[in-house]
Amino acid sequence: MRNLNNYYVLLLAILALSGCKKEQHIGYGVENATVYEDKSRKTKKKNNAEYISILYTNLYQSAISPNQLYKTQNVLYSIGDQDVASEMLLSNYFNTGSIQMPSNTLMRQDIDAFVINTYKRFYLRYPSEGEKAFFKQYIQKNSAVSVEMVYTAFATSDEYQYY
Amino acid sequence: MNRKNFITKSGIALGGGILAPYILPSGRLFAKTGSQKADHVVLVMFAGGVRQQESILGRYLEDSQGVSGAAGNIMPNLFEGNSPTKKIAYGTSISGMPAGSEPIPKLLTQSMEKSGLLFPEVKAQSAGHYVGLNTLLTGNAGTAQGLKVRPAYPTIFEYLRKHAGFSATDNWFIANGIGNSTPLLNSSNHKDYGLNYGANMFAAPVTFSSAGKEVLGNAKTYSRTDLEPMYFMKNFLDQSFALTQDQITSISNTDEERTRIKDFIKSVFAKQQSGQLAMPPVTDTGDAVNMMYAAEVLREFKPKMLAVNISGVDSCHSNFTGYLQSLHRADHITGWLWQYIQNNIPEMSGNTIMIVAPECGRNENPNPILDQNDWVSYDHSDANALRVWSLMVGKGVPNMRVGSEAQSVGRLTDIVPTIADIFGILDPVTNAGLIDPMAKSLYNRI
Repeated sequence: MRNLNNYYVLLLAILALSGCKKEQHIGYGVENATVYEDKSRKTKKKNNAEYISILYTNLYQSAISPNQLYKTQNVLYSIGDQDVASEMLLSNYFNTGSIQMPSNTLMRQDIDAFVINTYKRFYLRYPSEGEKAFFKQYIQKNSAVSVEMVYTAFATSDEYQYY
Repeated sequence: MNRKNFITKSGIALGGGILAPYILPSGRLFAKTGSQKADHVVLVMFAGGVRQQESILGRYLEDSQGVSGAAGNIMPNLFEGNSPTKKIAYGTSISGMPAGSEPIPKLLTQSMEKSGLLFPEVKAQSAGHYVGLNTLLTGNAGTAQGLKVRPAYPTIFEYLRKHAGFSATDNWFIANGIGNSTPLLNSSNHKDYGLNYGANMFAAPVTFSSAGKEVLGNAKTYSRTDLEPMYFMKNFLDQSFALTQDQITSISNTDEERTRIKDFIKSVFAKQQSGQLAMPPVTDTGDAVNMMYAAEVLREFKPKMLAVNISGVDSCHSNFTGYLQSLHRADHITGWLWQYIQNNIPEMSGNTIMIVAPECGRNENPNPILDQNDWVSYDHSDANALRVWSLMVGKGVPNMRVGSEAQSVGRLTDIVPTIADIFGILDPVTNAGLIDPMAKSLYNRI
């Protein structure tokens, strides 16, 4: 009986020793990176609910209520030209005044950063050099262009309807 | 050829090459093949399933409920015939009198039948609502048409935009709601036509509802100067993304048209607020409200083609009294719209043709559901549900009655070739080979 107890103690000791292993740190050379969309991969169209919900959250930085979402969906569906519908919806939002967006002064202080941030905010991707150049030049040359105008163009554009 | 001539001619050729595709979306400069009979067509889709017995045949309760001596015409703006004198329940209610006992006074000085072309016995191709509506707008029997999908065959709107060069705002479809796939009827998904040629559409009772006002009514009114850069940037973004034909899911207007539509929506909300919307004398149904907004669209856009859908009579599945009331009101609002065009839209008065037709009929035999008057109800699935009528009135339309109860003349699929005929594009529409081969212009049925 005593020999048996010694045997069990020995067995436990062996198991415990063999079970403990020094932690190995393995590195694969991968660096942290933020992943952005590629426009060529946006092939799925957002449905009305997705579009409204994403747009609302984007602009107000808070979620739309289910009741508001339902009402908005129905109204948008009731209009044949969806551009008309979404332009009016946006314009309605802009008239509320509580949209989270940079000021016009801030936009003009650093147009490059504004364009990049706008592409990331709406399209979840970086602009190409051509796109960046177009917006930079257009905003610079047209003093009347406001953040609201740029946001309206993005939010009603075809690419914003896709993911 | 000297240098100057060469440059001049090259310039003209180049300009023509650039401009021609914009003259007609199809790129065809001279698409019309026939003479145009009128500048505007209004199609009233008198839908919901209308029995011949209570409409064109003027039988009121005699056939449906077996009430002897209770025949009579309850659609005085559309058809000739004396009103019933017994058990009046289709009118408005006056305190102290039985419900519905006061018929709505006739609006038109003479009925449409008396001034227009009536086909009293027409064959419908389907006993269902959506397929029937498809038939009215596509001219195809649509036997394989599914629900919740756009029409499989081109609508009259698409034919008109492609072959007659109409713009998007020349074509309007006013739906009576967003249920039953109705908002999909402004365009087919046909590969040769489709949304590029679709009509503008409002499901007006929703667009202009309190929810509509909440969602759209506070929209800013941008000046043209504000809109120009917005559209410029948007167009740049859209060109960069470059949707393919099969990815397009909405009809589109020009920048100018979009602005006009947005201004119109805002103006309707403003008129609502100030109580300035023109409306039929009796506006106690959703159909009447829809007709009211159709009139607003007509007044503002003077479209060449407008189709408006109503469907209140579908209550007949379980409420025969409600069906009679809706039928009487559908007659009232159709007469009102015709009168409104003549009296309030000078550009369309005397230059418009109105076509009125149900999308399907209703059964000969009732179901057992009784309403508040203990009257039986009717569904739509038997041969009687394939019996309908069509009526046409307006510029140059002959005053005739073609066919009779015993002799059916015409098919519901005739409506599209008739409209095509009115606008002078019957040949291209027929040659496209996508309408019912037995369909004919009603002018050719006379």
